[in-house]
Amino acid sequence: MKTKIALLILFISGNLFAQEQKMSDAEIATFKQDVNVVSKKIKTLTTDFVQYKHLDFLAKDIETSGKMIFKEPSLLQWQYKKPYNYSIVFKNGKILINDEGKKSAVDIGNSKIFGRINKLIVGSVSGNMFDDKEFTISYFKLKGQNLAKFIPKDATLKKYIKQIELTFDKEEATVVQVKLLESSDDYTRIVLKNKVINAKIDDSVFTN
Amino acid sequence: MQKSTIQFLLINSFLAIVLASCGSVTKNYTPKKLDKTSYEVPYFSDSKTDYVYKTNITVYGHEMSGIFIAKKINDTTHRVVFTTEFGNKLLDFEISETTFKVNSIVSELDRKILVNTLKEDFRLMLKDKYLIQEQFENEGDNIYKSADGDKDNYLFLSKKNQKLEKLVHASKTKEKITLLFNSENNIFAEKIQIIHQNIKLKIELNYFKSE
Repeated sequence: MKTKIALLILFISGNLFAQEQKMSDAEIATFKQDVNVVSKKIKTLTTDFVQYKHLDFLAKDIETSGKMIFKEPSLLQWQYKKPYNYSIVFKNGKILINDEGKKSAVDIGNSKIFGRINKLIVGSVSGNMFDDKEFTISYFKLKGQNLAKFIPKDATLKKYIKQIELTFDKEEATVVQVKLLESSDDYTRIVLKNKVINAKIDDSVFTN
Repeated sequence: MQKSTIQFLLINSFLAIVLASCGSVTKNYTPKKLDKTSYEVPYFSDSKTDYVYKTNITVYGHEMSGIFIAKKINDTTHRVVFTTEFGNKLLDFEISETTFKVNSIVSELDRKILVNTLKEDFRLMLKDKYLIQEQFENEGDNIYKSADGDKDNYLFLSKKNQKLEKLVHASKTKEKITLLFNSENNIFAEKIQIIHQNIKLKIELNYFKSE
């Protein structure tokens, strides 16, 4: 019984710690400022990532992982390495795909969703996403982290993405997690780790 | 008497020709006495398993890829979801032998002919119980014929290891869809290919290796 109560208390207090608190206007201003200062310094960024696809009816999230490479102003590569090799490059309005050696290219014009997600991810590292008119943004505090929630204004985009959540490390003011919530409460959660900022990256990396 | 015999022979040989051309699906197989009246396919039958496949679809020369997810959600029904590698949901179906429900589909894929084709393909792939009416054999396989509406399904079980290696969905005269299964453990299939004979559509599924 005692342990049960202790566990309950632990659970409740744990929950309190995890709870999001809305930022005040002053806090929002400081947070935006911090992110902007850091992102202005970012010329290149490489990071490992683990992607968890959560579908409510599955027993386990589907886990894939790899590496993301970004170079100013808008070169971006997602490289899945496990459990398969799949790489996708966003470059000059095009998406270049290398699927286990099979190559293809898509115009972003045909894939507005990709284009917008790309813009958002690039925006989150380059610091100009908070001015994005396409989203209603709200700001929260977590323990050691800040959280920005983006709700699409556009009805078409909203059909696919209910909400995007970017979690920032408070100290470093960089993104540590991207969460894309689908309308049916299924989501994709991408955790970024082992970040390297401003290492020299050649443009040829983004050829696929 | 003679006339009727000739007539009889003529009719018979005509029938033989018709039957031979009609039976083109099984013409290379030898009929055999039934050794079972039903067969259960193990590959998607466990309700506790999340079946996850990296999937490539080739349709009239166009390539599309993503993640195929299937799960048996009750005795009769499978939930089927197809997402991009990023995790964006492209379609979400619930399929049983007699029912079909679209939970969601992106507008780009929302074409009746495509939805019906995928419905038929997935239903064949996920179906786990077959009643057998006839049996044949060729060199390597025992072949079981199972009626499916106005069509038939032919299940090819390897004589060597009793695994289901091929499933052919056919009319009386023509093969329509062929499914090829590769399975090491006879619990799930590592690789599945769905090949259409009348349209240029091929779906290849490769099982996610667990870490």
